[in-house]
Amino acid sequence: MASTVGREGKTAGEGMTMKEHVIEKGAEMMQSMKPIKQFSQHVCTFALYSQDMNRQIETHHFVHRLNEDFCQCAVYDTDNRDGRLIGVEYIISDRIFEALPLEEQKLWHSHFFEIKSGLWVNPRVPEAVAKPELDKLAKTYGKFWCTWQTDRGDLLPIGEPSLMTSPLGEVAGNVKAPLLQQRDEKYGISSTKISDSRVDITGPALINPNADYWIKHGKGFAIDIVTAEMKKITPLP
Amino acid sequence: MATHPLVPGEPTKTSTTMLETATAAVQKFGPINAIHQHLCAFHFYGNDMTRQVEAHHFCGHQNEEMRQCLIYDSPEADARLIGIEYIVSENLFMTLPDAEKRLWHSHEYEVDRGDNLPLGLPQIMMALTRDGQLYSHLASDVEKKYNVNFEKERENRAYMKGLEHGIHPLANAEGKGLRTELREVDCNGGAGAHSTPRVFV
Repeated sequence: MASTVGREGKTAGEGMTMKEHVIEKGAEMMQSMKPIKQFSQHVCTFALYSQDMNRQIETHHFVHRLNEDFCQCAVYDTDNRDGRLIGVEYIISDRIFEALPLEEQKLWHSHFFEIKSGLWVNPRVPEAVAKPELDKLAKTYGKFWCTWQTDRGDLLPIGEPSLMTSPLGEVAGNVKAPLLQQRDEKYGISSTKISDSRVDITGPALINPNADYWIKHGKGFAIDIVTAEMKKITPLP
Repeated sequence: MATHPLVPGEPTKTSTTMLETATAAVQKFGPINAIHQHLCAFHFYGNDMTRQVEAHHFCGHQNEEMRQCLIYDSPEADARLIGIEYIVSENLFMTLPDAEKRLWHSHEYEVDRGDNLPLGLPQIMMALTRDGQLYSHLASDVEKKYNVNFEKERENRAYMKGLEHGIHPLANAEGKGLRTELREVDCNGGAGAHSTPRVFV
């Protein structure tokens, strides 16, 4: 019978047996895991639920840069081995963003503020090493779907995906002080000091007003999962 | 240098790739290191069984009963991350509220349309539940590419018992289709409609 509390009480389910661990290791050694080996950066930053900006989370993005204009990120709630997979973020250059249809642009958020203000960091990497990539990312837009709402205590990923948005300078978009402080203390850093050192990082020439939808419209987005006709080949299930 | 045949963009410049090697060496990649398994499966769209995709899952165990997977469109280094799947044991599935049970499969982007960017909303995907659903050309493509034989695998797996209670009637959306839709809502803290100068100098 399943217990409702698993590893460190964060995910429902029984803990793993030794046999499972051994099988895991064996499989890992035999299979090539090429896509997974392409993640090259760990980023720690913050995100807000677009449908409730009082709900803010610390995020851990593992970034795979496919080319100069596009990155794909697996997003977790910590950088520990037992981190929960909470979503996916795509990052695109301003050049690609400008070419998107309006209906698509409203789902994306800008990154300039969160990088410039030191909210977005690469833990354990010296600023000088991170700088070329930060310069590039400061001019990008992101679309982040959260599929596991761990901040409200869900032990399993339930419900529909949430569209997330990024911290901004406006009051509603500010990251709450205790959340920021907790993160800074964990890594022994100071976001304000980091921000001071990023004074010469520039954003896009003009942040497109169709991004960061809540700024102009005071609205976020929710996803509904609706029942629809299923186009079939055979009976289902 | 990285460029990508399917995703628009310039090749990655050298200065960035040097950085990426440096950062990967010192940073903590805990959750990524926990990914230990690659599975190839077929999914079809939540409201259209005729649209089927090959889905490469890269999975890590959260515990014995729950796995979290990154889904890619290929097992290669330039694979596109198209979605997420969570896999739970039958026991854990039973603990979900009924309204939740019908949603269980995975969320993915629609790469089979030829989209070269992840546009729109994530779609709910479903898995095959009986013979005759999977297009035979997709099956034979996979068999050729990865040198596997489905018939033989089926024989090898004949010992497997399957779900103790059979497929739950609420799973797979009770046989109906599922589609995602976007709806505008109050954002609880948004400053309301006002215009802010968006020019940076």
